[in-house]
Amino acid sequence: MTAPGYCTLIQALYAAPPEKPFITEWNDEDDIRAITFGECIRLAKLQAAEFFAQGLVAGDRVILIMPQGISLMTGFVGAMMLGAVPAILAYPNFKADPDKYAAGLTGVTQNLKARLVVVDEEFPAELSKRITMADGARLVPSPVPSLNSAEPPLPALSLEPHGLAFIQHSAGTTGLQKGVALSHGAVLTQLHHLATALKVSDQDRIYSWLPLYHDMGLIACFMLPLAYHLPIVMQSPIEWVMRPGMMLQLISDFRCTLAWLPNFAFQFLARRVRAEDRGNYDLSSLRGLVNCSEPIRAQSIDEFLSTYEPYGLPSDVVRTSYAMAENVFAITQSPIDGAPRRIWVDGQQLWNEGRIVPVTDKADKSICFVSSGRCIDGNQVRIVCADGTNLSESMVGEIVIRSDSLFGGYYNRPDLTAQVLQDGWYWSGDLGFFHEGELYVIGRKKDLIIVAGKNIYPQDIEEIVWNHPAIHDGRAVAFGLYNPDLGTEDILVVAEVEKEEQLKDSVEIERAIRSTIAAELDVTPRAIYLKPPRWVVKSTAGKPARSTTREKLLAEHPELNRD
Amino acid sequence: MNEQAQQIIDEQAQQIINYIVKEVVRRPGVEIHEDTPLVSSGLIDSLELVNILVKLEDVTHMRIPATKVQPKDMDTVNLMFATAQRLGRPRK
Repeated sequence: MTAPGYCTLIQALYAAPPEKPFITEWNDEDDIRAITFGECIRLAKLQAAEFFAQGLVAGDRVILIMPQGISLMTGFVGAMMLGAVPAILAYPNFKADPDKYAAGLTGVTQNLKARLVVVDEEFPAELSKRITMADGARLVPSPVPSLNSAEPPLPALSLEPHGLAFIQHSAGTTGLQKGVALSHGAVLTQLHHLATALKVSDQDRIYSWLPLYHDMGLIACFMLPLAYHLPIVMQSPIEWVMRPGMMLQLISDFRCTLAWLPNFAFQFLARRVRAEDRGNYDLSSLRGLVNCSEPIRAQSIDEFLSTYEPYGLPSDVVRTSYAMAENVFAITQSPIDGAPRRIWVDGQQLWNEGRIVPVTDKADKSICFVSSGRCIDGNQVRIVCADGTNLSESMVGEIVIRSDSLFGGYYNRPDLTAQVLQDGWYWSGDLGFFHEGELYVIGRKKDLIIVAGKNIYPQDIEEIVWNHPAIHDGRAVAFGLYNPDLGTEDILVVAEVEKEEQLKDSVEIERAIRSTIAAELDVTPRAIYLKPPRWVVKSTAGKPARSTTREKLLAEHPELNRD
Repeated sequence: MNEQAQQIIDEQAQQIINYIVKEVVRRPGVEIHEDTPLVSSGLIDSLELVNILVKLEDVTHMRIPATKVQPKDMDTVNLMFATAQRLGRPRK
């Protein structure tokens, strides 16, 4: 597909064939809503007129807090049509902690200083009070436009490529106030590189349950289809968690070709979909399932592939990508026509020297890494040590990024910006290495455990612990704790047993885990704490939250605090 | 509500209680009733509500739109059944 060459996202949308299907919103078997590109434009104009009547003008921020779906998406487009700057925030749901949600809402709305805050009619009143309203700001109900309404006049306005298109928020619990403001030009530039790497064609159809308040959902699954005129089939994240198999049914029914998923979702789909439902799927239409936004684990991919290959899933369909909100989205992408590379490296060299020495997959103490692919056009990555010096290929260091779609700073947060942007390079806080021109991402730098000069990656320990049958799957956390007597870090592990009565076998379980860690990683944890079910703190995505679990363990075991 | 309908609801509530005790709490000696606060008391984690809502749909033969459910709608077994009646539709 050729580059669109548009100046703004709105111009790209106006060029779409009006009758072509755009968004299919699946809520339930008998609650499916679908609109074409032409209808999207019409609904967006109607919403824009409502926003304009409420006082929204070019340059104003507008916050949208609405359930995932067409009204939210057309409202987002409508705000852009006015030259206003929309930001989508998470909609509250029953599995999110209400206090944490409210605190996040207060902080993020304070930073954005929006003219309008748009909420749907079911938004809980007690949460409305927690929104920080700037002077003169208004809280308004989301417009409910009808396609039968007359098209309203909108103010004459010429949008510019360098004008702000929207604000997206960086992921992570501490990132609640890290808004990334992006211009039309930056977004279109990124989409062009991404579409080229993925060889996007007008035959593509995207499936997504990803939240629109994060880059993977907003950029890959909304802005890409908007600018490249692709149909999209979508569900809400909470519906997907409830019935993950529906994703596979929708891909089968609508013959979707592309989807993006975080690593944990591959394993979740392999384990949580009932075996008797799998016979209904035909996944042969897929040409790319992109594993993105978390460190990639070969085990998760393999479990997914072996589960669904009998149902038409192409055996090499999983792709990989390294992406972040600060760069609009992708920095790297694995080839679209084959499986990403894997390498097995010598554990000793990795842990002791931070050096990548390839070995065979059967070698003792080998560690497997999956490539995130090469940089897409316009993107550059360096691997550096703490002082910014370049490291040679096959050395582990921090990933720093420069690109033609990189953000200019966090919105209203020069303090946070100064910590990560230096001379046009973005310091990602992620550790990784280059091998044969491809990027391999290991994990967050702050999670690294350093034991007597040896670098241990907590996810390697955690994977061993999860694999013990007595441990609740996925509920283990490993972290380092400085030991002043030794002048280095100790490894601590905390894990949940499957059933509370298994705690009586603690000694044996601990011994088994300890010996496997020692055999595979050549380190010994100082202590392994086994806890009853539901002890490990989880993030809203259901994954263990490493830093909060660490704090909880230290609070419960004051003897560990020796500083 | 007639006696028979009430009996069905009581039986369904008991199924949910049994599920929460055996599959979610997984701790011996814990008793819960229709009005026991679950998440706000710290007895269960809000993430567990996903599985409980799926179970509630199975037990009541209803389809409950998850996007419309808020934490306060799920804090006790009685509230869960009120939520199912308010938002649920008979399953096909």
